[in-house]
Amino acid sequence: MTPTWEEKLADRIDPQLAAEIDQFETEITLRKQGKLDEKVFAETRLRRGCYGQRYDNGHRHDGIRSQELHYTTELTKGPDTLWDAPGMQRIKIPFGGLNPAQMDALADLAEEYADGVLHVTTRQDIQYHFIHIEDTPAIMRRLAAVGITTREACGNSIRNVTACPLAGVCNTESFDVIPYARATARFMLGHPDAQGFGRKFKIAFSGCRQEACGLVNLHDLGAIAVTRTEGGKVRRGFEVYVGGGLGAVPHDAKLFDAFIPEEELLPLTQAIARVFARLGEKKQRDRARLKFLIAKLGVEEFRRLVLEERQTLHQDPRWTEYLGGVSEDVEKPLKPPTFLNGQKRPEGFDGWYATNVYRQKQAGYVVASVTLPLGDLSSWQMRELAGIARRFSGDSIRTTVEQNIVLRWVSETDLPDLYRDLVRIGLGAPGAGTIVDITACPGTDTCKLGISSSRGLAGELRTRLAAKSFNLDQAVKDLRIKISGCFNSCGQHHISDLGFYGTTLTIGNRKVPHFQVVLGGKWQDNAGAYGLPLVRVPSRRIPDVVDRITDRYVRDRKADENFQEFVKRVGKKELRGMLEDLTRVPPYEVDPSYYSDWGDPREYTIGDMGVGECAGEVVSVAQFALTSADRLVFEAQLHLESGDYVKTDETAYRAMLQAALSLVRAEWPEAPDEANSATEEFRKRFFDTNLWGDRYAGNKFAQYLFVRHASGPYRNHDQARRLVEEAQLFVEAVYRGHDILSERVQR
Amino acid sequence: MDLYRLGIKLFAANSPSLQTKGFVPIFHSWIQRQCVAGHQLIDVHDYSHIHQGPGVLLVAHEGNFSTDMEDGRLGLAYFRKLPIKETGASALRAALKTVSEGVALLEAESSLSGLRFLKDELLVISNDRLLAPNDTRSFQELKPALVAAFGEGAELVQVNPGTKQRLTVHVRLR
Repeated sequence: MTPTWEEKLADRIDPQLAAEIDQFETEITLRKQGKLDEKVFAETRLRRGCYGQRYDNGHRHDGIRSQELHYTTELTKGPDTLWDAPGMQRIKIPFGGLNPAQMDALADLAEEYADGVLHVTTRQDIQYHFIHIEDTPAIMRRLAAVGITTREACGNSIRNVTACPLAGVCNTESFDVIPYARATARFMLGHPDAQGFGRKFKIAFSGCRQEACGLVNLHDLGAIAVTRTEGGKVRRGFEVYVGGGLGAVPHDAKLFDAFIPEEELLPLTQAIARVFARLGEKKQRDRARLKFLIAKLGVEEFRRLVLEERQTLHQDPRWTEYLGGVSEDVEKPLKPPTFLNGQKRPEGFDGWYATNVYRQKQAGYVVASVTLPLGDLSSWQMRELAGIARRFSGDSIRTTVEQNIVLRWVSETDLPDLYRDLVRIGLGAPGAGTIVDITACPGTDTCKLGISSSRGLAGELRTRLAAKSFNLDQAVKDLRIKISGCFNSCGQHHISDLGFYGTTLTIGNRKVPHFQVVLGGKWQDNAGAYGLPLVRVPSRRIPDVVDRITDRYVRDRKADENFQEFVKRVGKKELRGMLEDLTRVPPYEVDPSYYSDWGDPREYTIGDMGVGECAGEVVSVAQFALTSADRLVFEAQLHLESGDYVKTDETAYRAMLQAALSLVRAEWPEAPDEANSATEEFRKRFFDTNLWGDRYAGNKFAQYLFVRHASGPYRNHDQARRLVEEAQLFVEAVYRGHDILSERVQR
Repeated sequence: MDLYRLGIKLFAANSPSLQTKGFVPIFHSWIQRQCVAGHQLIDVHDYSHIHQGPGVLLVAHEGNFSTDMEDGRLGLAYFRKLPIKETGASALRAALKTVSEGVALLEAESSLSGLRFLKDELLVISNDRLLAPNDTRSFQELKPALVAAFGEGAELVQVNPGTKQRLTVHVRLR
């Protein structure tokens, strides 16, 4: 009889985890027998971290034509998602914490069930790609045997609880947040009060306010460690923020309370979850994150409801029982502390040391960053890295939101040997946290929502920047680049110095991959500020964008002026002017390279798409109107920059109306230029009829116009800023809407 | 041993005239032509940035191909994912046939200007640590199938037995 992992690992898996995996395996069987609805199964698998992947609807454009992918069964694992199509498995790694045994297991699984590669995400998770759904129970059991669960890695649930990778060893932290992050992750995992959300919920912990740390500002719930002295005693607590988030339109988190005592952390989290589950939006997915609920209620009312809810909770011993062990919950170093002292250093060591080594607050110990190109490493590298960790750092390993791995508690004299070992396995590259250490989401490589190739672009930029890194000015080296394949911000482009997100434009009859350039985001101060889109540039010219902006920064920056200050001083108008010529796309016949994306030789456009005479005229008029809408969005940004929120609101709103009218006039050329009429005609002709709508985002962008039309004008900074972002996304969506219209006219 | 999760790597005899990324358009063209028998070719993934990694990956429903660079030696690797009706030596022969087909396609590729593969040296990898852990017992169990597939004269050496790597056998044909 063939052995199974279930039998082999039976005594090594927590019974609760084992029961959950058994249940999931049963659900797989039921779905195969047609006894479980595909939508129900989809949410079930998502809550186990089993995600869809690009082309899983059974179609793929091969550069010449759209091919149907033939599988052995027509069964689905969700709406429009074929059973046999390769999928993605996300694995939660709370606060990024790993030990060597877990790394070995993760390496083995990537080899046996995926493609031999592990991918570190921007939320400290690990992902496998090209997984078959029927292999997932074995994967989950083998992970459970080393203490890892995939439960609630995706779906409308509490996602991976993240934390600063330096927590516990950081020189500026108030205290180590890891015991609290761990307790929160455990307490909320599968908690009944966190099962009724309309959308996902993300939690992060930071040890200090001024560093990037846990990026609290972009989380649904963020906690920054603070202390308070009361009656001569130092009390631990958290400055708690709520309602932050990136996504298409980023929201700054709002301060919930400047000091929540440590014993109140878990009950407060539970109360917030209950209020979110009860009052959060359920039907409209794009308005269902906590940030929208808080924007609707106001943070004061939200706070009142949460505190009221807190009073109704029954005492739970788990709220505080972990606190007794917090003081003992400290990592034990593998070796005694030592200092680098005139040792012979291998070639390349000094450059690596300068960027990849952080001296811990515990003298004689350091944190060594292992830079992973595009967040990837092979199974072999992961296994070797586990061996290196066993030798130099013990169990103190973390994944990071910058898609790297760090080894902590390394005794300093071990660094040259550690470096040699990293070089041996191809992971000794310097540049951690610098401009070459680019963050990118999966984008069009594997994500169903990807518009442009974020990884392709990241790879290209990384190669170019690494080649000249020795000659780069230090001010440029210190910049960060983050890239998302679409507006959904998984690459966190809003919080980098130079951010890019994927978009597309139709030129002639062909589609051209583009990226929006986003400037002015702030990584420090827990993601202290979000950048704004500057201009849309063809993907092919983005390396030139990086060169021009960084060259200008080096040339014109004032002493001690950081990049955000430089962008603010020079102004978006001038910066946009510098890039204007890069936005031009030559005809296909002149330079076809613009019509494919980085790392993907397929022609990006749908090659057989032609435009009939009538549609040609419509598109041409529309193009004119949309260009004008684009200009208005940019002007709105300038008003925002100058602090004139009235004009920001008016101009951004006008941009949306102009874009909406461009579609309306494709059907009714005489449509009047008036706000009520434009909005209503747009609603009647395109929204109510479902004629227009992004395949994955649905009609969410249309809501931006409707909400502003009904509730404006907006007069404060937050609202005005959000409207500018919404106007940008709405205009881009209308561009795509015109493509849909053109295709329809042809048919 | 009822093993279908098998990998076979055939080594390149010379260096290709292009960088690893150069295999990306080649594999895309295979998808356009769907030119590997019995395989639904799906997608191409560029992992050339990973040191001694899978290089460029061609994903198929039945199994994956990659321009593998493990141990610094370029080769074409094929890993079967779907069960097949054959077992033992027949399963090995089937996997060898598939990877050989891939090799023939690469050798015929004009952009690779004469890339050739060794015909007398390969790796067989069991990609299933449950059925075949990397120990000498598994090797002994697999041996009859290896002998049947590659002949009595084939030299079979287990690579790094007892380690955390997959059960891997270096095969030299005579």
